[in-house]
Amino acid sequence: MSKVNPDFVEKISGFTEFNAYACINCGSCTALCPMGIDLLPRRMFRHVMLGFEDKVLENTEEVFSCLLCKMCEENCPKEVPIVENIKSIRWYINRDIFKLGRG
Amino acid sequence: MSDKRRIGVYVCHCGGNISDYVDVEQVRDAVKDDQDVIISKNVMFACSDATQQEIIEDIEREKLDGLVVASCSPTLHLQTFKAVAQRANLNPYQYTQVNLREQCSWTHRNNMESATEKGIKLVRAGIARTRLTEPLTNIRIETKPRTLVIGAGVAGLRAALALADLGLAVFVVEKESEVGGWTKKWGKMFPNNRLGNDTIEYLLEQVKQRENITLFTDAELIEKGGNVGDFSIKIRVKEGETVSLDVGAIIVATGFDSYEPFDGEYGYGLNGVVTLPQFKEMVDKSNGSLNFNDHQVKNIAYIYCVGSRQPEDGEIENPNLYCSRYCCSAAVHTASCVADIDPNINQYHLYRDMRTYGKYEVMFENAGKKKSLFIRFDDESSPEVEVSNGALIVKVNDALDGGEEIEIGADLIVLVTGMVPRENESLTNVLKIPIGLDGFYNEIHPKLRPVETVVDGVFISGTSQGPKTLAESVTSSLSAVSKSAALLMKGYVDLEPFIAEVDTDKCVWCGECEKSCPYGAIEKVVCDTKEVATIIPALCKGGGVCIPDCPEDAIEIKGYTDQQIRSMIDALAKEVA
Repeated sequence: MSKVNPDFVEKISGFTEFNAYACINCGSCTALCPMGIDLLPRRMFRHVMLGFEDKVLENTEEVFSCLLCKMCEENCPKEVPIVENIKSIRWYINRDIFKLGRG
Repeated sequence: MSDKRRIGVYVCHCGGNISDYVDVEQVRDAVKDDQDVIISKNVMFACSDATQQEIIEDIEREKLDGLVVASCSPTLHLQTFKAVAQRANLNPYQYTQVNLREQCSWTHRNNMESATEKGIKLVRAGIARTRLTEPLTNIRIETKPRTLVIGAGVAGLRAALALADLGLAVFVVEKESEVGGWTKKWGKMFPNNRLGNDTIEYLLEQVKQRENITLFTDAELIEKGGNVGDFSIKIRVKEGETVSLDVGAIIVATGFDSYEPFDGEYGYGLNGVVTLPQFKEMVDKSNGSLNFNDHQVKNIAYIYCVGSRQPEDGEIENPNLYCSRYCCSAAVHTASCVADIDPNINQYHLYRDMRTYGKYEVMFENAGKKKSLFIRFDDESSPEVEVSNGALIVKVNDALDGGEEIEIGADLIVLVTGMVPRENESLTNVLKIPIGLDGFYNEIHPKLRPVETVVDGVFISGTSQGPKTLAESVTSSLSAVSKSAALLMKGYVDLEPFIAEVDTDKCVWCGECEKSCPYGAIEKVVCDTKEVATIIPALCKGGGVCIPDCPEDAIEIKGYTDQQIRSMIDALAKEVA
């Protein structure tokens, strides 16, 4: 059981506005990923939007494995800004979890 | 019947469709010496122009008074050969079509000998029936150039305007004290955000400008007599007064009811659980912010398909199996209106399948851009609504995240309710129009005759026939207008003569036939001081249910008499020599 937390997405949106609401869960991104990362970005984004912080953090390694090659973004039928969203998640983890960059 | 008849029989090859599996030459030869058969021929394509001409020449030269074509299904070519008979001055009701293709060659491809034997029997039955045919004429009825429209919602009002503009007089009967139905109650409607009330005001203004429309409010249809093209009706208007009118056609536009969830269905009854129409009213009336119980609304969960697509074998008695068509689009559009009021409201849509079909798909995409989140659940795992620490929560398995169970806290839970048939028992009894398994009024054919009913001259339109969007309701009401106008502007209507006939010598008026007739086509008359049954030709459908109920065996159907049917059975049962 995971509780939906609408405020979490606001925390992620500190870098640029996190935006994956147009996602229709078609799975093109997962299928095209050259890293073969099973989780990104479809389910990861869903976890962000639903506010499942623990699930996002469980997959920190996947978040940082992404090459930002934009293969998924170029082929996204709904034009979700996938790379910007991943950068947002990294930014959040670096700042709030790893406590980096704030001296 | 001892009179000699002169019958022509044409056995068709249908290219090879028939002759590959039935020995058509053998069929031709088997019947050529049968009683009253003057001509027995094979033809390659009976429906071809050259063969039609050949048949006409044969009829004229041989003075034939009966015609049998053994070819395909009557659905395909009955009218073709009736017209052939007519062109040769032979009464078209002295023609019989034998279905040698769909009911013989195509069904028995593996046994030519038996197929041929069956073919001979079928043709003999056709000849037997034809031998006993009499010339019949269509029943012609003069029509009244006036239409009654029942219901002054958007479908009824739009129909009235279109009929009036075609030059027909229109009477509109509305049960409520004001016009507009559901549409009048609604604010912004999809797809263009026009206010429902504005739409109705516009239509009403147009109605007022037309002298040939008479609108009755607080009124009800209480009686319908007569028949297609010439109904005599009674309308109850205010304070017990009635008005009698003659109209040629009737359009039913009585609309729908909104599904009322049962107590506890997805938490219905709990504070904060509302139906889509209730929620729509809150959104329409909100001014700058959306509040509930004096608090600003932050989180909304929608549950789709409430009262629609209910499982057939579940616990619900008489489940609504149909999709209500409009609710997905209406809910998504309402969510968009909510986002316009307050873009910070979180909206969660718990759906089974998203059916924002056609042009409305754009609204679904736009809702996504306005931060609506769509969560799909499987049919087997419906969401559950609970109260936890005084707050509403919904639990659902997110099918798009591997069925993970999630919990959403919501200030409001909107049950996206569909359309159900309106309770209209007294009207249904007056009109005698059938109701489908879904409870809505039933059309004759969903594709080809979508607004006609089995009662000639009574048409159904809008959501009285089934769930529809506003645009679809108007399309359907204009379709009923064109059917009604096509009937009335010709000035007359011809009906097939296959109707019941009472033998007044045998009839003793017991009333059994009157009770059995679903169309009210039988009534009592006095004939030479004797009470007997009589048939109202325009109402009789030739269904024949009265016949077995008559203890005196006094009723027959013209064109399908007992004698004809018996002779056909005899022909079918007789061994092929």
